[in-house]
Amino acid sequence: MPIYLRKTLHSLSLLLGVTFISFLLMVYFGPDRSYAIAGKNPDTAQLEEIRQQLGYDQPFLNRYFTYIKDLASLNLGQSESNGKPVSQLLAETIPVSLMVLLPGFLVGNLLALLLAMVAAWYRHSWPDRLLTNLSLAGVSVSFLIIIILLSTWLCTPQGLNLFPSRGWRVDSLASWFTYATVPSLALIIVTVFFNLRFYRALLLDEMQQDYIRTARAYGAGPFSIMFKEALPNTLIPFLTRLLFSLPAILVSGSLLLESYFGIPGVGKVSFDAIFNADQPVLNAIVSLSAILVIVIAWLADFIYPYLDPRINLQAETP
Amino acid sequence: MTASLKSAKFSSRYKLPALGTLIFIGFIGILLTLAVYPLAEWQTISPDRFAGISLEHPLGTNALGQDIASRAEKASWHSLRIGFLVALCAGLLGVSLGLLSGWYAGRWPDTVILWLTGVMEAIPFYLFVAALAYALRQFNWSMELAMVITFWTTMARLIRAEVIRLKQRDFILSARAIGLSPGRTLTAHILPNTLPVLLVQLSMIFIAAIKAEVILSFLGLGNNSNISWGQMISESTHEVISGHYMNFVSASILLFMLIYSISLITDSLQTRSDPRQGIA
Amino acid sequence: MLPRTLCLIVLGTSLLWGCDKNADSEATTEVVFRHALEDSPISLDPAHAATVSAKFLAVNLYDTLYRYKYLARPYELVPNLATSLPQISTDGLEYTIQIQAGTYFQDDPVFINGSGREVTAADFIYSIKRQLDPQTRAQGAWLWVDNIAGLKAWSEAGADYRLPVSGLQAPSRYAIKITLNHANPYFTHSLAQGFAAIVPVEAISKWGREFSSRPVGSGPFQLASFNTSQAVLVRNKNYREDFFSLESEGGIQENHPRLASNNGQKLPLSDRIELLFIKDDVARWNALESDAVDSILAPATLLTQILTTDSEANTRFKLKPALTEKYELLAAREAGFVRINFNMDDANIGYSTDPERNQANLALRCAIRKSYNWKARNQIFSQGSGQVFAGIIPPIVYEFDPEFSPESIRHDPSGARELLRQHGWNADNLPMLTYGYSVSVTQNQMFEQFRGFLIEIGYPAEKIQARKFANFGDFLRALHENNLNTIPSGWEMDYPDASDTLQLYYGPNRTPGSNNANFNNPEYDRLFRKARYMPQSPERTTTLAQLNQIVTDACVTISGLARTRIFIWNKRANVIPDRAFTGGYFLRFATLNTAGNKPESP
Repeated sequence: MPIYLRKTLHSLSLLLGVTFISFLLMVYFGPDRSYAIAGKNPDTAQLEEIRQQLGYDQPFLNRYFTYIKDLASLNLGQSESNGKPVSQLLAETIPVSLMVLLPGFLVGNLLALLLAMVAAWYRHSWPDRLLTNLSLAGVSVSFLIIIILLSTWLCTPQGLNLFPSRGWRVDSLASWFTYATVPSLALIIVTVFFNLRFYRALLLDEMQQDYIRTARAYGAGPFSIMFKEALPNTLIPFLTRLLFSLPAILVSGSLLLESYFGIPGVGKVSFDAIFNADQPVLNAIVSLSAILVIVIAWLADFIYPYLDPRINLQAETP
Repeated sequence: MTASLKSAKFSSRYKLPALGTLIFIGFIGILLTLAVYPLAEWQTISPDRFAGISLEHPLGTNALGQDIASRAEKASWHSLRIGFLVALCAGLLGVSLGLLSGWYAGRWPDTVILWLTGVMEAIPFYLFVAALAYALRQFNWSMELAMVITFWTTMARLIRAEVIRLKQRDFILSARAIGLSPGRTLTAHILPNTLPVLLVQLSMIFIAAIKAEVILSFLGLGNNSNISWGQMISESTHEVISGHYMNFVSASILLFMLIYSISLITDSLQTRSDPRQGIA
Repeated sequence: MLPRTLCLIVLGTSLLWGCDKNADSEATTEVVFRHALEDSPISLDPAHAATVSAKFLAVNLYDTLYRYKYLARPYELVPNLATSLPQISTDGLEYTIQIQAGTYFQDDPVFINGSGREVTAADFIYSIKRQLDPQTRAQGAWLWVDNIAGLKAWSEAGADYRLPVSGLQAPSRYAIKITLNHANPYFTHSLAQGFAAIVPVEAISKWGREFSSRPVGSGPFQLASFNTSQAVLVRNKNYREDFFSLESEGGIQENHPRLASNNGQKLPLSDRIELLFIKDDVARWNALESDAVDSILAPATLLTQILTTDSEANTRFKLKPALTEKYELLAAREAGFVRINFNMDDANIGYSTDPERNQANLALRCAIRKSYNWKARNQIFSQGSGQVFAGIIPPIVYEFDPEFSPESIRHDPSGARELLRQHGWNADNLPMLTYGYSVSVTQNQMFEQFRGFLIEIGYPAEKIQARKFANFGDFLRALHENNLNTIPSGWEMDYPDASDTLQLYYGPNRTPGSNNANFNNPEYDRLFRKARYMPQSPERTTTLAQLNQIVTDACVTISGLARTRIFIWNKRANVIPDRAFTGGYFLRFATLNTAGNKPESP
């Protein structure tokens, strides 16, 4: 079987698995809506009728296929809480989440990469020690604590009171700075601590290669070695990490950040959906983000060989 | 692996674990002291609100007059319990599936396990917890179960890679040549050699579980009737504004002590097993 | 028939309003007023306007026939969409109400050509009928079902809109005739509720369930955006000619010099209202302090930071000196009260078919009530600003009886323990208490306090469990689906009469109605029916006292506390944000003193 086909089949099977688990947890064992619809004191016949309407009486597999069909056609249903179509809810919230998270995420990663270069260049001397120890201590501080300290410091009259403590009314760059600065700072701090040591290890790996040793021996400066030699070769793992953490950041990362700062993005909507057992919303977010992960992985498999001829698809599968 | 362990320079590498061990002993010391110290029950309320530090209340009291030290102590055990439980179960699951998968690499058990890993890694963790909690409704351990189901995957991947690597070694090949059963080979010869990777990964799961529990209970998704650091921190967001810091300080310092000490110890383990990774 | 008339109206009006829009577009700078609410509404459908925030939006996006005067206290009804107070027949059964001609719904694609058509008597009738349609799953049906003649029968016959309801008629395009089943001196108050808001049939046929997030009304504002964090309302350009008059709102020039400066201005006074939904107390206070909002309900948990220490319960409340320069304050006893109900449907704690168990359960509930320390509750969560009272008739109501036996609010842990012992309750056989609430730090601490009280009487801590919900509306919705038996409940009164709190224990109002205790006592129901529509009189007072006694004796609730609402607003704002009874009606009068200046962003 050609390798591309095999990869695609693998991704498809993953999709099947993810949708199956979402279906099992959120539809099959999920909330039974018939009672909510029937209202008070329904008799069994009424309930039976509603269950039929909702398709609860269908065999397991039929329900699963209906579910897949709805998902594939993006027929995500309506929010149980407020009647909004889920697709519209997502269309409203995804841009907000991207606006809150993407800048901080990118800046944090770039900063981590730069600091990792410093650490790698000064390997084993004090800047390296300082940075690596600091990042180890940093990852030990919960994201939650960072958010609370930062917002108490920057957003309350007890501190500097420079920014609103919560809310989201963004229609211009200035208003973006007003509302997104503090959440972004929190995200940057976490991202730097979280990634610094990983990027340092990547760079160290590269720097032990013969060609860099040679370049160093010939007296090449830190900038030319880092940016011209080491960086291009670490680009692939760097991008991989960036891409693969994106869905997690978008959903899980935004959950805490958005509910803390009251930002109406995907995280806040999923937070509300969790508490309301708003199954159509939760279901859409879980399935779609899982699908996103799989699609990214699948795309990465195709793109990498073009970026870096050393990567051979065959090599990955033992 | 053993080779790199022996060749490692011990002298410079014992400094940090010493700090880690010290903090960890300090953490456990605080807990044991509080455990034997006569404190009020963590649920008990009293008219003595926002009391300062005293012999009766070593960390003061909160808005309801509850003893913060006793709440902090209960929350710490709660966290430790979750950390150990999740690490143990997820570790066990990850190791067994990893061994299986590595041994049968390329064959169907491997394919199935790899597929399962891929599926689990694609689902966002916090939402998975929520969905599982809903599906299992009244089941009190749904949060822990969700963590176990999601946290085993990295362990399985790492163990699988180790098994594949070790399988080709001479001593394994000879063990198989003399007719040792696969089960025996795996447990007696391969497993002990994966120990460094296994320990590092176990403590990573431990840390992840504790951190996740704090965030979940802060958000109100935790076990409803227990006390946890996350809940103390969420209470403290109200109190900090009126100058009462003890809830926040005690919960966040204990949390930091535990995570930092375990991280330091893990890091030194990792450095010894793979010198490139850690802080030299 | 209807479509053709519609066509004509729409054609006529679109021409008219076309001109008006041009005139409006030269408005110079926008006046933006920003207010924080404590909870976000789930649904903007007036049929679901059961929570404070949902009602807030309903009365601003939609029209009601009547509303309360902005400033008159005690509260006074005033015509809103109606031209005058209703003409009531001598037997008190027939209400004739004229509505203002020339009121148009906001422009919206649901209407032909997209421009709002005129509001007519038929719209009111549709809006009430709709709440008896099971499809709507309305939460306000209880206001109408027993009052309006023929409504119940219409609903039971399948809610067919083509069929008339005898008690709801439109003698002319602008006249409404309501026939009641029985004389009810308080009925007009119902017409000032969010539930009484007038909705256009076009929007519901077009959007179905989605209508709850796509409001189309004729109120002073229309919706610009809405999510769980905020709602933005903008001036409804089609809003009828309605002008501010301090005098007719019950205000006095000397008391409200700054409000008087708005005399004669067209309502609403602001171009844009931003409602921020901030559940967290600290965040809400921060929002005011950092100028993110102009007015808030002061968080009770932070009152010690806000008020001077000599502010005591029932006396004048004063801001801390550091705050007086920037803010103003209004203290108002809440129109309602808080209490903790037991779910009588739960056989473990409520009604049991076994008479012996029934008695034991009664003792159990009474013991729990004895364990509750209202004074501590008031102190910790309201800084002592509230008023603890016995029974279910709160102090704001005419029939409130200060002499009512305080036994039911006496903190008596030893009596509670004794009662449990007498009825054979012990740590092993005490039932599991499931205490539900919408998740917030304060609610969580109230739960811990409740648990603390129970521990004092020997209740095992692990048998007191919490169930959390994301917001208040969902908590309400979950009541009859979930297994809750201990239900902390607040009641914001709809109209200033005791029947509005006594109906909380009326059998037919059981969940999903407001009787979330599912209290079911035939004697209570009989007396309630008798007293409900009686005009205020000594006889009524006596009957109400009997009702109060029945609920108290049955230990169905731990009641109660009437809190004091402290509203605080920035001096820049020109507003009195009191919302008792008046709900969100004040928003149309809210403006800024430096009108025309957009508030600066912090």
